[in-house]
Amino acid sequence: MRSDVLTDAANVDIRRQQAAGKPMSIDDNLLIEQCRQGDSTAIERLVLKYQNRIYNVILKICADPDDAAELTQETFVKIIENLAKFEGRSSFYTWAFRIAVNLTLNYCQRNAKLAVRSLDSEEASYDHQTSHALKELLSDDSSPDPAAMAQNKEVYEIAIEAIRQLDEPQRAVIVLRDIEGMSYARIAEVLDVELGTVRSRLSRARNRLRDILEALLS
Amino acid sequence: MTESSDEKRYDSEARIDELLNSYIDGELTVDQQAEVEELRARDEGIAQRLSQFQKCQTLIGALPRAEAPPQVLEGVKIAIAGKALSDGKIQKKYPRVRRVLAAAAMIGIAAVMTTVMRSMISPEPPVSEKSSASAPAPREFSGKLELRTSDLVAVSASVNKAIEGIHHAEAIPSARREDKRIYSLSCSKKNLKDLLADIEHVWPELDSATLSVNTGVFGEKIVVQTVTTEQVVKIVEQDNPGKRIEITRDFAVLNHMESHLTDRAIVSAIEGQNSNLTHQWQAPKPSLAQRENVAPQTPSQPEDKDTVHLTIIVSW
Repeated sequence: MRSDVLTDAANVDIRRQQAAGKPMSIDDNLLIEQCRQGDSTAIERLVLKYQNRIYNVILKICADPDDAAELTQETFVKIIENLAKFEGRSSFYTWAFRIAVNLTLNYCQRNAKLAVRSLDSEEASYDHQTSHALKELLSDDSSPDPAAMAQNKEVYEIAIEAIRQLDEPQRAVIVLRDIEGMSYARIAEVLDVELGTVRSRLSRARNRLRDILEALLS
Repeated sequence: MTESSDEKRYDSEARIDELLNSYIDGELTVDQQAEVEELRARDEGIAQRLSQFQKCQTLIGALPRAEAPPQVLEGVKIAIAGKALSDGKIQKKYPRVRRVLAAAAMIGIAAVMTTVMRSMISPEPPVSEKSSASAPAPREFSGKLELRTSDLVAVSASVNKAIEGIHHAEAIPSARREDKRIYSLSCSKKNLKDLLADIEHVWPELDSATLSVNTGVFGEKIVVQTVTTEQVVKIVEQDNPGKRIEITRDFAVLNHMESHLTDRAIVSAIEGQNSNLTHQWQAPKPSLAQRENVAPQTPSQPEDKDTVHLTIIVSW
């Protein structure tokens, strides 16, 4: 299934530009106003515009496609229900992601299934060549291209597993920064934390991610 | 080394790590960038650390992206439509369903009953131009079937099995909630008929079965309480959207009235004192006598006009 739904990473730069606050192609304000008036076409456009990005972020945080689909749906229902309360103090994009991340983190906390597990309990075994290549990547002895490696299914699974083993606040900050490409300031808005907290949390998360990857590959 | 010096070293490493990561992310001032470049040039360990962070970041950032399944949009529409009916504020914007149902129930019930009986007896009656034109129904059937039961496990197992038996159907089962199972299904009409035939045996185990049919107008849906599998099939198999809405409304009224037969006040208000319509209300449920008349459908990939979207929710 995964191979069917995955897209290439060609639009990473565009996403990052949008996440950093660059203007978007469709005027969100107009779309939101139309949605508030009950325009079903506008609502559909709004969902279609953001559903892939929101689904992708939720999926990377909660790690389950069924849960991610359900949480994405729940996010949009909540967005549409609360559009009247949206005052525009932050951008719609930030507001929407705040709803999505809060719902997802709450869901993860309610369902302890995503609790951080001890690395000792991991029994996954990965293909030798893949493990070797990733170890090389981490040890800096050689220089394989990490972006190309990420397209490998096995590497994908190892990376996803590593993200999954981060605690939830670290997972959220890594996903918002490295996958969604948000600026620190925007992450602070989405997570409702100080900029310094984003900085330190992200640093700890990358440190831990590197440790987890090494542990998974050892 | 003392505890205090350990802490200092840790703080220093943590600060350097923060600097390195912020450097990678382009979140440093010019002065801080210069500081990192100096550190990197001076300390090989820091240079290696920076490289590792950078590779980790590139690896995670380049992971392939997943696209939201198409059922998400459908699910949002259904959920919003469902909330709209129970939400007074939104309902005021879309009062047509209320008006139609109220008018049908309190004023034109006898006429509606006649229509229902005619539609059951006479297959494929012509649809008036007026009803077709006024019904903004979507070409494809889209709706939600809610099954409430005290035996969630058995009923959801039957639904699961039936869905698994459908080829070429796209289904997203969501078995993550203890009190609910949600299945978003996109398949051909024939597949749905087969599925309903497979799960018909669970109907006696249900506390309620409710079908909500989207009308194509946002926020508007028609709800058929106590729906039977035959009624679902009858609604779904309609090619003409207007006709589909018409029949759905008929079933909604029929089932509603059946559940209120003991309410003499309503009966007398609608029929007068000497009506024999109550006998008609107890007439047999709509039969599937028209099945043979349904145009043959391709069993493999359903054509667009043949595709139906149904969310099945099993809950207790």
